Amino acid sequence: MTIIPFPARSPRRYGDRVVTEALTFADEQDDGVRALAARLVAGDEGALESIYDRWSALVHTYALRALHDQHDAEDVTQQVFVAAWRSRHTLTPSPSALPAWLLGIARHKVSDVRAARARDADRLAAVVSLPGAHDGVDPSVDEDVAERLVVRQAVDEMPDPRRTILFLAFWEERSHAEIAETVGLPLGTVKSHVRRGLMKLHQQLEGVRHGSR
Amino acid sequence: MDHVDPDRLAGLALDPADASEDVREHAATCPECAGLVASFTGVRRRAGADALVAPPEHVRAQVLAQVRAGDVAMVSSPSVETRASRRGVPVWLAAVAAALALVAGLGLGRWGADTETPEAVAPPVDTGTVVAAATLTALDSDADRGRASAVRSEDTFTIRVSATELGDAPGVHEVWLINVDGVRMISIGLLASGTEGEFDVPMELVDQGYRIVDISVEPDDGDPTHSGVSLARGELA
Repeated sequence: MTIIPFPARSPRRYGDRVVTEALTFADEQDDGVRALAARLVAGDEGALESIYDRWSALVHTYALRALHDQHDAEDVTQQVFVAAWRSRHTLTPSPSALPAWLLGIARHKVSDVRAARARDADRLAAVVSLPGAHDGVDPSVDEDVAERLVVRQAVDEMPDPRRTILFLAFWEERSHAEIAETVGLPLGTVKSHVRRGLMKLHQQLEGVRHGSR
Repeated sequence: MDHVDPDRLAGLALDPADASEDVREHAATCPECAGLVASFTGVRRRAGADALVAPPEHVRAQVLAQVRAGDVAMVSSPSVETRASRRGVPVWLAAVAAALALVAGLGLGRWGADTETPEAVAPPVDTGTVVAAATLTALDSDADRGRASAVRSEDTFTIRVSATELGDAPGVHEVWLINVDGVRMISIGLLASGTEGEFDVPMELVDQGYRIVDISVEPDDGDPTHSGVSLARGELA
């Protein structure tokens, strides 16, 4: 059991305190995401739009990979963000909590769709021929998909030149020397970007892992 | 021996041949640093996913339409609340019905744009009807903590709480209604059995926005205010 402090002994507003709570995660850096989460909790519709714009591709791609169906993936995406809005009071803002929380909701919606498919014999027959949609679903595969997508998104969001350097290093598997030549930076700088980038990815992945359990 | 700087461990994970001898030696004997190297390697292995696929534009429009339709139910802005109280019929009730209709649509897996109109459904206001329900969850996760429902009869509401897995922290479980304005809260009673309870509340209260059901654990310290420890929460909708 995990218990979360509730601010009744202080005269502060409930909404404010939720924000204050999150500030104790001092090791987290992304104030922008935290502020966004706080605005969502406070009921700011604009925050939902920003959150949608930033993470709908993550949620949608996850649903797409998990369900192998365009229409279901769109439905799940829609449901996730509507559910996020409706249950925003349960979110404790922290930088990694938002994507972790959204993925957590997405996981539930994906299993709802799978359960519905399993109940519907006709529908099940229709999807049996699709890869990955039949028989037992291994949750660790879903987990791995989610983590890969989180990494992809984190790299997408990095400022250049780090972003380009990481793509060349991890996606195109180019050597550090080749990358140094391509981007016109010293070898040491390239190495440093790759290391720091890897550490940042590690940090974000850990945040999502903790946040979604 | 001191641990190796994570930056150098990241270098080791990226290219063992490029790491210096002392870093390699330390990581070979220090479980903590070896663990970090393994984590970094795991992250590296997860790099390579195809580009994310954005959903089609109409999904965004549907999300916003649905949120705005449901928002009447949430009575989230003071202006809506004022409007509601001036009318004879509590507007949130009608909206709750609409929200329930939406949830029903959700259960069916699909909905058309036409189900998003709040006034499309008449509120089920028969005596003893469940007019709103909430799934209770832990605050730090989606973990299920049971259900709460609001049953309307004449001019009172009965809040029924059926909680699960509240844990065994010492103290009694107290039920609170938190206002959606984020400012006010009120205690409505104790879960004598620990998990189950029924609480009559004046209808105005729910009408005013006290719709977030919160269960706290209260130590026997003579302090009547919320202990600050919430075990479960959910918003009636």
